[in-house]
Amino acid sequence: MQTNVILSIAKKEIMDNIRNKWIILVSVMFALLTLVVSYFGSLGSSGWQNLGNTISGMTQLGAYLISIVAFMLGYATIIGEIERGSMSALLSLSATRFEITVGKFLGLGAVLCLTILAGYGVAGLVIALNVANVNYLEYLAFIGITMIFGLVFLSVALFFSTVFSKRSTALGGAIFLWFLFTIILPIVFVGLLATTIDFTEITMQTTLVVPDWYHFLNLFNPISVYTALITITIGAVQSSTGAGLIPNPSWYSSGLLLGVFLVWIIVFFALAVWRFQRKDI
Amino acid sequence: MPTQLVKCPTCKTTITISGEPGEKINLTCPQCNQKGVFTVPKDINGRTMASSSTAIDVKGLIKTYNHFSAVNNVSFSVKKGEIFGFLGPNGAGKTTTIKSILDLTHADSGTITINGINVQTHGKEAKKYIGYMPEKVSFYDNLTALQNLSFYAEIKHASKEECIHLIEELGLGDAGKKRVGKFSKGMVQRLGMARAILGSPPILILDEPSGGLDPRGVVLIRDKILEMKKKGTTIFVSSHILSEIQEICDRVGIINKGVLVAQDTVEGLSKKLNLKPQITVTIDAMSTKVENAVKTLPGVDSVKTHGNTLEIICDGAMKAKVILAISTAGGNIQNIQSKEPSLEDVFMRYTEA
Repeated sequence: MQTNVILSIAKKEIMDNIRNKWIILVSVMFALLTLVVSYFGSLGSSGWQNLGNTISGMTQLGAYLISIVAFMLGYATIIGEIERGSMSALLSLSATRFEITVGKFLGLGAVLCLTILAGYGVAGLVIALNVANVNYLEYLAFIGITMIFGLVFLSVALFFSTVFSKRSTALGGAIFLWFLFTIILPIVFVGLLATTIDFTEITMQTTLVVPDWYHFLNLFNPISVYTALITITIGAVQSSTGAGLIPNPSWYSSGLLLGVFLVWIIVFFALAVWRFQRKDI
Repeated sequence: MPTQLVKCPTCKTTITISGEPGEKINLTCPQCNQKGVFTVPKDINGRTMASSSTAIDVKGLIKTYNHFSAVNNVSFSVKKGEIFGFLGPNGAGKTTTIKSILDLTHADSGTITINGINVQTHGKEAKKYIGYMPEKVSFYDNLTALQNLSFYAEIKHASKEECIHLIEELGLGDAGKKRVGKFSKGMVQRLGMARAILGSPPILILDEPSGGLDPRGVVLIRDKILEMKKKGTTIFVSSHILSEIQEICDRVGIINKGVLVAQDTVEGLSKKLNLKPQITVTIDAMSTKVENAVKTLPGVDSVKTHGNTLEIICDGAMKAKVILAISTAGGNIQNIQSKEPSLEDVFMRYTEA
C-alpha cells in the first residue's frame, strides 16, 4: 500500500469537491439553519438560545441533512467514475483498488468534516458571541460526534457506489436508503414496540419501560445511535419521530455507541473494498 | 534486455533504462540534466527480470459476460519496440482484451504478462510500465488540465514540469489553466494522450487514440506515436482508421467475434490470403488483341475492361510484363495506376461473416 497514492487521491477528491461549489453552499446552509434554530427555535422564549439548546434543536434536523449530504458525496464516487471513464485511467496506473477506496473515503470524509466544521463552527461562534456561559466543550463534542455520524453514512454510500452498475440506479438506491434510515426503520421499530406495550396505561407519572430488544434494534439505525449518543454525551434531545422521547437504557454508553459507529464504518468500508475488487470496469 | 523505470532523485522525473540486472548505467536526466550512475535492480520478488523481447504476452485469454463469449482463447504477443495494431469490428472484443491486459476486467482464464510480470498477480508492479489512453477519455471536469495531469503525475512519480511540457507539446498550451469541463472533445482527447505518455512509460496502450479528433489532431497524435516508437516505446494501438494503422504499425492482430483470426505484418497477411495488386491501365483504343495478350500471360488472375481501361489483378512480379504485353499488342498506354493490397482488403476478408 502506497501512502502517496492514497493521499493524491484524497487530495484530488477535496479539490474536485471544493471547486464544485455545492459543498460550500451546504456549509452556508448548515450555518444559517443553526442560527435560525438557535434564534427562533425555542418555544416560549425569544432571541439567542445557548449552545446546549441549539444542539437539542439541531440534532434531529442535522441528522437528516448530514445523511443526505454524505449520500450525495458518496453514492456515485465509484460508479460515477466507472461510468464516466476516468476510473479505467486511474486503475491503469499503479494504484490498487484498495488504495483508491481508502483515498476516496479519506478525501470525501475530509470534505464532509470540513463542511460540518465550517457550518456548525461559524454558527457556534456567532451564538457564543451573543450568549453567556458558553460550554465550548459540549459544542465541540457535538461537532465531533456529527462528523463521525457523517462518516458512517459516507461509508454506507461508498459501498452502494460499488454495488450498482449505473449512476442513476445508485442515486435511487441512495434515496431509498435515506428513507429507510430516517422514516421506515423508526416506524417499523416503534410499530414493533407498540405491539408489546399498552400505551393507554402510560400517564405523565409513569415511567415508560421499554424492552431491551427495542434498544438493540435501534443500534442498526445510525440516526437512532446518533441521537442517543448526543443525549448521553451532551444532554436531552427532542426527537420529531418520537424515538427521542423514549429514555435510553442504562447499558447505552458513549463508548458503546461510538463503537457501534466504528463498526458501521469498518463493515461498510470493507464491503466496499470487497465489492470493488470484484467489479469489472 | 529488460527495461526498468527509475526516478531522478532531484526532479522525480521517471526515466526508462535498459540493462541487465546488476549492470551499472550512466544516466542523465532529460528534465533537469542531473547526472548519475544507476545499478539495474532485481524485480520485486527478487527474481531477475526475464530479458525477453516480449513486452505484452497474452495466452489463452477467455472472458465471458452472462454466457456471452466476449473473448475466446485469444493469444498473441507484442515485441518490445514495435507498434502492434489491434483491429476488429465493433463488439469484436478489442476493448475487453485491452481491459484484461490492464486487469480492469478480470479474465475468466488465461495469463497476461507485461515485461514478464503477471498482471493478474502483480498488477501494481506490471502497470508501472504502462501508459494507457482509453477509448472514452475522461477527466475531472472541475479541475484544470494542469491540475488533472498533476494528479496523475503524482501517482506516476512524474514531475509537474513534465505536465506543463506535455500540455504545450500537445497543443493545449493556452488551455492548461482552463477547467477540463470546458474543453472540446478533441482537446480532451489530446489531454488523454498527454496522460498516457506522462512519465515516458515503456509500453503504451492506446484504444482509438484518434477518435473525435480533427485532421490536424490526427496528424499530431500519429506523429507522437511515431516519436514514442523512435524512443523505443512499445505501442499497442486499437483503431478503426485502417489507413492510419497500416501506415504506423509493424504488425497487426485482427479479432472477430471474440476470436483472434490473424496476426502478422500487413504484407504477411496479404500473402496468406493470396491478395494480389491491381493494375489499372488506360489505353487510347481497346482491342481484343490487347485483352487477349494480357489474359494469356501466366500469373494474371483476372482482366476486366471498362471502355478503354483494363483492370488487371496479377502477381506483383508480373506488373512489368503486363505493361510490356499491352504495349507489344499495339496498345498505346495513356495512364497506369497500381494498387497494392491494403489493410482494408485484409480486414474485410478476415472479418466477413
